[in-house]
Amino acid sequence: MSLTQASNQILHSLRTMMQSHKVLDADFQTLALEVFNLQYTHNTAYQKYCHSLEICPQSVSHWHDIPRVSTDAFKVTAHPLCTHDTNSAVRTFLTSGTTGEISGQHHFPTLDLYELAILKSWQQLDLTAPATIVLLTPRPEHAPHSSLSHMMGVLAEHYSSAETIWAIAEDGSMDMEKINSLAERTSPVAILGTAIAFLHLFENTSLTLPSGSYAMETGGYKGTKRQLEKADLYSLFTEKLGLPHSSVINEYSMTELSSQFYTRGLVGPHRGPVWTRTRVIDPRTGTDAAPGEPGHIAIYDLANLYSVSALQTQDIAIAGEGGCFTLLGRDSTALPRGCSRAADHALG
Amino acid sequence: MTTTQDRIQLLTQACQSHLAKDVLGEISNTQLTAWITAELGHVDALDIFHAHGPLRSRAFAPSTILHIVSGNTPHAAFQSLLRGLLIGSHNDVKLPSLGLPDFEKWIHSLPAPLSGLVSCHSDLTDALLYQAEVVIAIGSDAAITGIHSRLLPQQRFIPHGHKVSIGIVSGDFAEGARLAAKDCSLHNQRGCLSPHAIYVQGNTQKFAQMLAQEMARYSQDDPPQPLSLSEAGAVQNLRQTTQFITANDDRTQLWQSEGSLHWTVILEPDSTLKLSCLNRCIYVKPLPEEITTAALGPECQYLSTIALHPFSNTTSESLAHLPAHRICPLGSSQQPDLFWHHDGYAPLASLVKWKDLG
Repeated sequence: MSLTQASNQILHSLRTMMQSHKVLDADFQTLALEVFNLQYTHNTAYQKYCHSLEICPQSVSHWHDIPRVSTDAFKVTAHPLCTHDTNSAVRTFLTSGTTGEISGQHHFPTLDLYELAILKSWQQLDLTAPATIVLLTPRPEHAPHSSLSHMMGVLAEHYSSAETIWAIAEDGSMDMEKINSLAERTSPVAILGTAIAFLHLFENTSLTLPSGSYAMETGGYKGTKRQLEKADLYSLFTEKLGLPHSSVINEYSMTELSSQFYTRGLVGPHRGPVWTRTRVIDPRTGTDAAPGEPGHIAIYDLANLYSVSALQTQDIAIAGEGGCFTLLGRDSTALPRGCSRAADHALG
Repeated sequence: MTTTQDRIQLLTQACQSHLAKDVLGEISNTQLTAWITAELGHVDALDIFHAHGPLRSRAFAPSTILHIVSGNTPHAAFQSLLRGLLIGSHNDVKLPSLGLPDFEKWIHSLPAPLSGLVSCHSDLTDALLYQAEVVIAIGSDAAITGIHSRLLPQQRFIPHGHKVSIGIVSGDFAEGARLAAKDCSLHNQRGCLSPHAIYVQGNTQKFAQMLAQEMARYSQDDPPQPLSLSEAGAVQNLRQTTQFITANDDRTQLWQSEGSLHWTVILEPDSTLKLSCLNRCIYVKPLPEEITTAALGPECQYLSTIALHPFSNTTSESLAHLPAHRICPLGSSQQPDLFWHHDGYAPLASLVKWKDLG
């Protein structure tokens, strides 16, 4: 079967699944194995990786056993992880990171599925449509390689009847005049951005958003020297924007994925959309972490149809009931380092 | 008030403890005498004035030295305190959050005149920081920068920041692999002096294979300490990513302990120095024809030690243009001599100040 035929067939099943509120494990399993078969057949770099592990579609009977690639494999640009010719990619998103770090690349031959995943992941939050949507990221046309900017563009388009405010200029500066104008609004505002952008906003203004407003923060503090405990950040949302903790949403995702995981408020686990599954792996054993114990999150995202659905991250979490997880953060050792890192504690 | 001779005597005795011996090696009265003479000109330079050209000069130890030590290996902590005690300063030691059990045990076992010169602390308060005349900080660049920003202008600062080491093997692969395995395995590779990569002149694949065998042998005799979740995750991630690369590019090869994370050897075709995730994970790379900072890449600026096999004065002098402050025989990376210039500093001379008469 050709790539187009196979992917169209799977795409149809996947789109149907994405419309569902609940997906049985057996149905997920069936589609996950079909996606693996497609990726094994058409993603050469992944196929070679599976070969080296002596794993092929015939030897995998459970989605747990689909070979996971480390997110760092997306940085091996000589061997792109995609089911199609990279020259035919309509968009390539790049991972962000510290200066000098190699960027990972995620190629997309079409953005339809990706955008559907963004919308369906978002809709699981069951939020009311805002009258104004404020985006604290560059516009997608100013940051064509940023998956986050693209996602913001998709959400802005979704709320097409809302007034859209892009508050980050092309040079990266925040338009405080636009932000301060929010104080005059009387209908709900949705304000979406990175944690770093919100910190900048909090340092420069204080206002009360109308009742029914909400915020979505994402991205942590990767590549910066800034750190703030989540509780402290959420207190600032209350102090500087008048938003209760329950009106603040955290998004967990990454350039290497197509789907998003959300949680609301200070406590509570992240939950993914129905076409995803997660495991928390103890790297010391390579098996699922004991209940209540932390491990690294493994993600199976079927919307990653054109790359690899099974990813191994270095983000730490504790597995919860029904496939959700409590995110503890990015592993501090995820970047290479020299000696003496333990002395960082000296500053504490 | 002790004299230098008293302290040499007491330290010689204290260094007989296995806790110190395991880390510092054998330290004798003669060595300590020779060391202080080499650095300060006279063994009693801290006790009396000596002729210094037309002047008479005497060295004075700082009243208080603050040692901010890291938890990756105890080696630097032992060395730093030994230096402070030898010159007779009071030594405040800021311990890492997880402590350094053997180092702390050694401090508790010191004879009274020496133990009175040491205080251990778990917090780095402003009071602790400001009472020190000299601050020695061992840690990451971020930690060092943070500490430096808190100091007063008159405080002397001796930083030992981010460093990496390498090995170079240019012949006698069997012995070279054995020595490299020792250097890469000791202290679970967590020290600044632990090699991240072994550069090989000749058949890199053959050497990598031999190194893997020696890593396995070393691991059998001296298994690594259990890894934390983060450490294990870093090793797993390195292995998985390398496995992906090897599957797609046969110039890269991977050897690893089966069923455990005890050791990992990665053969790479390029010469750019790359940081290992430590815990007995080592890169094997071809030695470039011209061994320059450009050929080794940006990490080269952080070089601490280059360990050679076979070692010769001619070869080591030919590498003196590199940023490393130490070039030593392979197999002794993690056991620097008492006389070594730590990160280029004369460790005793850099602590004292002089008073001149005449």
